[in-house]
Amino acid sequence: MSGLRNLLTGLRNLVFRRRVNREMDEEISGYVEFAEQAGVSDGLTSAEARRRAHVALGSSDAVRERTGAIGWEHFVESFAQDVTFALRVMRRSPVTSAITVLTLALGIGANSAMFGIVYGMLIKPLPFEDEQRIAVVHMHFAPQNNPRGNMSLADFVDWRASNRSFEKVAAYSPSRFVLSGTDTTEEVVGALVTADYFSVLRMRPTMGRTFVEGDDSSSAPAQIVISEALWQRRFQGTQDVVGKVIQVNGTPATIVGVVPSAYGFPRAGVELWRNQTLKVTRRGPFFFHGIGRLREGVDLQQAMAETNTIARNIESASPGLYSHLTMPLEPLHEFLVGRVRPTLLMVFAAVGLVLLIAVVNVANILLARATARQREIATRLSLGATRRRLMQQLLTESILMSLVGGACGLWLAEAIVRVFRAVNPTNSPVAYQAQIDWRVMVFAAAVSLAAGVAFGIVPAIHSSRNSVQSGLAEGGRSRTSSRGHSRTRAALVVAELAISLVLLQCAGLLLRSFMQLQRSDSGVTAQPEDVLTLAISPSLARTAAVQTRPELLGQFYARAAEDLGSIAGVEKVAIADSLPPNFSGEDDTFHIAGQPWSEQAFPSTSLPRVTPEYFKALGVPLIRGRFFTDADTSSSEPVTIISESLAKRYFPDIDPVGQKLGASGPGNSDPFMTIVGVVGDLKYWGMDSEFKPAYYLPMTQNPTGQVFVIVKATRAANLGPAVAQRLRELDSEIVVRRVLTLQEVIDESVAQPRIRTTLLVGFGALALLIASVGLYGVIAYSVTERTQEIGIRMALGADRMNVLQMFLRHGLMLCSVGITTGLAVALLSTRALEPFMYATKNNDPLALAGSCIVLMAISVVATLLPALRATRVEPMIALRNE
Amino acid sequence: MTRSAALVQGTLDMLILKTLVLEPMHGYGVGIRIEQISAGVFTVNAGSLFPALHKLERSGLLNSEWRQTENGRRAKYYRLSAKGRTKLTAAQRDWQAQTAAISRILKTNPEEI
Repeated sequence: MSGLRNLLTGLRNLVFRRRVNREMDEEISGYVEFAEQAGVSDGLTSAEARRRAHVALGSSDAVRERTGAIGWEHFVESFAQDVTFALRVMRRSPVTSAITVLTLALGIGANSAMFGIVYGMLIKPLPFEDEQRIAVVHMHFAPQNNPRGNMSLADFVDWRASNRSFEKVAAYSPSRFVLSGTDTTEEVVGALVTADYFSVLRMRPTMGRTFVEGDDSSSAPAQIVISEALWQRRFQGTQDVVGKVIQVNGTPATIVGVVPSAYGFPRAGVELWRNQTLKVTRRGPFFFHGIGRLREGVDLQQAMAETNTIARNIESASPGLYSHLTMPLEPLHEFLVGRVRPTLLMVFAAVGLVLLIAVVNVANILLARATARQREIATRLSLGATRRRLMQQLLTESILMSLVGGACGLWLAEAIVRVFRAVNPTNSPVAYQAQIDWRVMVFAAAVSLAAGVAFGIVPAIHSSRNSVQSGLAEGGRSRTSSRGHSRTRAALVVAELAISLVLLQCAGLLLRSFMQLQRSDSGVTAQPEDVLTLAISPSLARTAAVQTRPELLGQFYARAAEDLGSIAGVEKVAIADSLPPNFSGEDDTFHIAGQPWSEQAFPSTSLPRVTPEYFKALGVPLIRGRFFTDADTSSSEPVTIISESLAKRYFPDIDPVGQKLGASGPGNSDPFMTIVGVVGDLKYWGMDSEFKPAYYLPMTQNPTGQVFVIVKATRAANLGPAVAQRLRELDSEIVVRRVLTLQEVIDESVAQPRIRTTLLVGFGALALLIASVGLYGVIAYSVTERTQEIGIRMALGADRMNVLQMFLRHGLMLCSVGITTGLAVALLSTRALEPFMYATKNNDPLALAGSCIVLMAISVVATLLPALRATRVEPMIALRNE
Repeated sequence: MTRSAALVQGTLDMLILKTLVLEPMHGYGVGIRIEQISAGVFTVNAGSLFPALHKLERSGLLNSEWRQTENGRRAKYYRLSAKGRTKLTAAQRDWQAQTAAISRILKTNPEEI
């Protein structure tokens, strides 16, 4: 059809509907008139001619309708009609409609939120320009064998000097900085970075400048770049912040620029970057990561080849320090999100399953409603509606409901994503990327549409297939068509139950795994609620004096421990740089006098530095020898205490006490330490790790600036303020953070598995709820439908028990089929949960049995309720009604 | 449509166009003319005629105008447009080709197929 003319005609028909209708009527009556005239001129009487004319015309309604149906505007009008009618239908049964819309809103909203989160975190590019060209450099070498190992500044300098694949490289080290000078002292998350850091990331300042070449030379002054959030908070957004000097970790530094807060790298909430001087005196410490921006035309493989060549050169230049050194490259995005991808995808899948169940449930509800509307539909069919038109109208109803549900769901999704960003359960620096944008809206619209079609098509097909006669017949419900409906509804419920079982299975497995995790032994025998821990950083550690005389720090700790011991209720006080179950201060290898050293034989392990009461405070048993005492100072003989697994593995036949052990590899020039004791094992690498060998050093002999204060006391939880107060009296500029009992520390270390388990158990429960409501509906409907039959049975001698059993059997049969189907699917899909499970196999019988039992139990309840109602049917009343 | 011959929608369009070659007519007139010329083989009822006429008008192949009848009533008269004329020529050509081909097939002896 000629486009413009068609469009205009259609518009005219829409706008001037009444006039157009009148014209049509005129044309039709004109037709009749001409026909009449022709009849008269043929010799008929005018009455007869008129009659024949009307016969020739046929039904004027039919003519009008068929002529009207040719234009596009007809579809628009019928659609508008359908929408109005659909709204009326919805209003007729408000409760059902409300439940349906609510279910859909929950399902679509949760899915949209997850889509926003998954897209934002896993797929959307980071806010750095051309971010696929940025790669993170790790150091991978024996004996530490950490594929994402840190590098030292010396390594960085070597890499920078010889590399050709990167146009700019930088090193960074996440850190915490204490700001003082203007009003308050606060600690912020930040990073030490080399000069080209901002160039690599192409972060542009909103004020001032970022670091430039030369800012990491040894003559450069201390400078910092701050984030907009810090600028607003601490400097009230004043325009003259550039050039201000503040105290950063005790030394003055000049603010040179402000950058937007939206970058979140290298840590979530990073607010400050300080220039790192590339003054390299020795190989360590290994605190840094390297990042670089690839040159144009160079891809990751080529860059990695070159980097590994550089690694080989570094290794041969410092023999004995590294072994099998490679420098793997990882794209920045992968580095930031690789860890959380499995969890996010798992949650997305679970939410998708819940939506599926919800959609099936809604289809069931609509099918029931369609059965009730059979008479209405049959009437319409008999009055001339085409089946196609009917289906169009029914589908419009379901799609409308779905879109309304989807719109509400978007609102819910916004709330969910906002909570997610604030709480950041995955602790990821890219959490802020999750948001509700146009993509999520398109996703929500698409899902709503698909859902609407999915749950609308089944009732629509069923309804339009009804024969008119049976629908209009006495009773309004024919046996055959209802049976078809019932079979479909039963199948749908079985599907719901099966999917619920899959979710319950997964939840059960995660639950088992989590319980195993919680019950695993950390090595601490003291009650974790009786142990208070504080993470502190004394101001002494930030002074210049402690660089030349580190023993000052050790003395401070000894004084602090003694002072804290005088607080009422305190039994033992210790200070250490490591805390079970998951804080290990430093790790390195070691060597034993008289035993040949190799990387495989002496893997890297923890070497916590502790004050004498450490083991007593945590309740770690002494197996041989002695604990550290105050006599073990920096000037006395070097001593060490080893853990039980170290003793068992390296001193299987002899008494380790008295033997000599040296820190680090054999190349280390520090003197050997005498082993003075053997203690029980502790876990430092997470509750799901094993007990690894560890060797302990006295805090006096090698103190560090970031330590834990460990206080064993009765009612330890209440002592937090008192301990913190006493510490501040000892050192006014001390930083105290993370005041937690050991129980809270343990709980925190299993936070990720806990979140996963909670989520999945929640989803499983939700799915179970929806499915059981569906089952209830099917059985209840069956009871209503068979009321007459029950009456007959009871009149013929069946008692209430028989009636109850009849329906119970029906319900249990549906449940069993659902469980069988679900089991088969579950066993396949739980394999996907393997990365999340601790000490649990994916066919764990307890979880399997548990989920089946739970499903069966809830199904029995859902069946019993309507079944009991069936038993209360009065036979005479049932027989009289239809 | 009578039982004796079923007309496909496209063919009806072509017949309507042909009918309007000489002079404009109203709907009843078109129907009667087709019936007359085909000697009663085709009768077009109003339920097929009016949709066809309106569709042709929307496509720009026909134009319409309201005229006064003797009784003082209005009647809608359809007229072939230039575009319609072109379309008619093309449709006629296609029809000849099709029918010729069908006749050829029907005339060939069974052995030659």
